[in-house]
Amino acid sequence: MGLIEELKQAILTGDLRRAPELTERALGDGMSPLAIMELACTPAMLEVGDKFKKGEIYVPEMLVSAMAVKAVLKALEPALQSAPALFAASIVLGTVKGDLHDIGKNLVGFMLEGAGVKVIDLEVDVSPGTFVDAVRTHKPNFLGMSALLTTTMPYMQETILLLKEAGLREDVRVIVGGAPVTEEYARQIGADLYAPDAARAQEMLRALIS
Amino acid sequence: MALRHKEPDRVPFDLAGTVTTGIHRLAYRKLLDFLGIAEAEVRVGEIHQQLAAVHEDVLKRLLVDVRPVYSRLPAGWTPSFTDDEQYTRFTDQWGIGWRKPKDGGLYYDLASHPFARFSSPADVVNYKIPDPADPSRLLGMREAAEQLSKESGAALCLAGVSAGFTELAWWLRGFEDFLTDLVIHPDMACAILDKTLEIKLGFWEMALAHVGDSIDVVVEADDYAGQHGMIMSPATYRKYIKPRQRELFGRIKSYASPDHPIYIVFHSCGAIREIIPDLIEVGVDAINPVQVSAANMDTRQLKREFGDSLTFWGGGVDSQRILNYGTPEQVREEAKRRIEDLAPGGGFVFAAIHNVQPDVPPANFMAMWEAWREYGCY
Repeated sequence: MGLIEELKQAILTGDLRRAPELTERALGDGMSPLAIMELACTPAMLEVGDKFKKGEIYVPEMLVSAMAVKAVLKALEPALQSAPALFAASIVLGTVKGDLHDIGKNLVGFMLEGAGVKVIDLEVDVSPGTFVDAVRTHKPNFLGMSALLTTTMPYMQETILLLKEAGLREDVRVIVGGAPVTEEYARQIGADLYAPDAARAQEMLRALIS
Repeated sequence: MALRHKEPDRVPFDLAGTVTTGIHRLAYRKLLDFLGIAEAEVRVGEIHQQLAAVHEDVLKRLLVDVRPVYSRLPAGWTPSFTDDEQYTRFTDQWGIGWRKPKDGGLYYDLASHPFARFSSPADVVNYKIPDPADPSRLLGMREAAEQLSKESGAALCLAGVSAGFTELAWWLRGFEDFLTDLVIHPDMACAILDKTLEIKLGFWEMALAHVGDSIDVVVEADDYAGQHGMIMSPATYRKYIKPRQRELFGRIKSYASPDHPIYIVFHSCGAIREIIPDLIEVGVDAINPVQVSAANMDTRQLKREFGDSLTFWGGGVDSQRILNYGTPEQVREEAKRRIEDLAPGGGFVFAAIHNVQPDVPPANFMAMWEAWREYGCY
C-alpha cells in the first residue's frame, strides 16, 4: 500500500497515532501539504461522508475520522509557511443567538475542514450582528448557521435580513441546518442551501466548489 | 389502565408529569393569561429546561391524569449561581457546568465537563460524587406522594436523580469525547457508564424501597437519536448501553409486585425506531416523546408494529412544526389524527411532543387540549 493510501486508511479508521506519523513521512518524502490534503484527507473524508449517508457508520466513527484529520493538519503546520493555501474555500460557521447546542454545528465543521473548506467557527450563541461582522471581515464563500430549537431558529432569518441591509448578501452563500430546520423553512427565510446533516453539507459545498 | 393496554374511559392526559412533558415558564405565563389566571405567580420547577411548576388547580382544571414526584438535592448542597457579562452560570451536584445567556436565554445548557481532561479509567473511578443513596434526597417524599395521590387521584411519576445514565455520561465527559471513547477507548467509555449506572442503581434502590408502593411510574431519559437516525449505531448501543439498561430496569422492576406494578417510561428524542424492540426487551413499558417529525416515527406504523407491548406516552401533536407554527385548526386536526392512530386498545398517554416551548401560542395549546377532550374518549 502506498503512503497516501495508508494515510487515507488511518483517517478512515481514526488511527490517531498513525495519521500524524504518516503525514510526517509524506512531508519527508517531499510531498506538499496541499497534495497531502487533496490526495489523502479530502478523499478520505468524502468517503466518511458517503458511508454516513448510507448508514454504514454513525456519529462516533465520523468523529474519530475527524480527529485523525485534525492530527494530520497539526502535523502539516510546520510546513505551511512556505506552502500555498490548503483550503479551496471558506465558511463562517456558528449556532444562532440564544442557542448553545454545538454538536451538529461541530460535525459540519469537521466534515468540511476535512474536505478542504477552511472553517471560521464563531461557536454558539452568535448574534446576527456577529455573523455579519465575520462575513465582512473574513469574506468567506459560505455562511453556515445552525439551530436545534424552534425558539431560536428565527434568528437565521434575522441574520439574513441584516446581511442584506449591510449589502453583503450577494457576497456569500447561506447554508442552514439543525433538527427543526427544513428545506421549506430554508427557502422561506431566503437561505441558499439546506443540509439535513454534516455529510450532506459536505457533499453540497464540495459540489459548489468544484 | 392505559399502561396495561386496556381502554379506560378516556385517553389519559399528561402535562408536567415528567420533565419532558412539561411547559416552559414563559409558555405557562402566556397560558395562565389566556385562561384568565393572570394573578398566579410562575415558579420554575425544573431549572435546566426552565419548566414551570404547574399549579395544582391548573392541573385539575385541565384534567391532568398524572403528577410528578421529585427527589431533593442532597443535604448541605445547594448550587451557587454566578453572573458574567454574557451568562448566568451554575455547577450541578455532579460537577457539570451550565450556563444561560443573560440576553433572552431560554434554558441552561452545558458549559463544562468534569471528565473532559481525564486520561484513564482510574480517574473516573476515583472521581468523588455525592452519594446517590443519601437518605436526605427522600425527605418528605413519602408523605408528599401519599397526599398528592389522595388529593388528585392521579398516577404518580417518580423522576430519576439525574438524566439517564448515557446522557449523564456524555454530560460528564463531553459529547464528542464520550462518543469517540466508544470507538477508540472503550475501557474509558465503560468506566464512565459504570459510574453513571452506579448513580442510577444507588438512587432507585433507595427510592423504590422507600416509596415504590405509592408511585406508579418511573421515568428514565436518554437521547439516542437525532432527527434522521441513531447517534451511535444500533450495534454500539447493543454492546455498551443495552446490557446496562437491562440491569437497571430489571432492578427497578424487582420493586414491583403483582398488585402494584411499576411502569418504566423511557424518553429518547429522535428517530429511535431501530432500537424499539431492544427497549421493549429490556423492560421499557412506554416510550416518550414519540417524536413523529423524526425519520420512521410515524404513529400509525409504530402502533401497528409495537402497540401490543408498548405504550406511547406523547406523540400528541408534532411540536416542531404544528403546535408552534400551525393554526389552532391544524393543531386540532393533528391531535385528532394522532389519537386515532395511537388510542385504540389503550397503550396511549396523550402529551405534547416534549416540553411546550415559549413559541407555542396558548390558543394552540388549548386547541390541542380541546381536541383531546373531544376525540380522546373511548
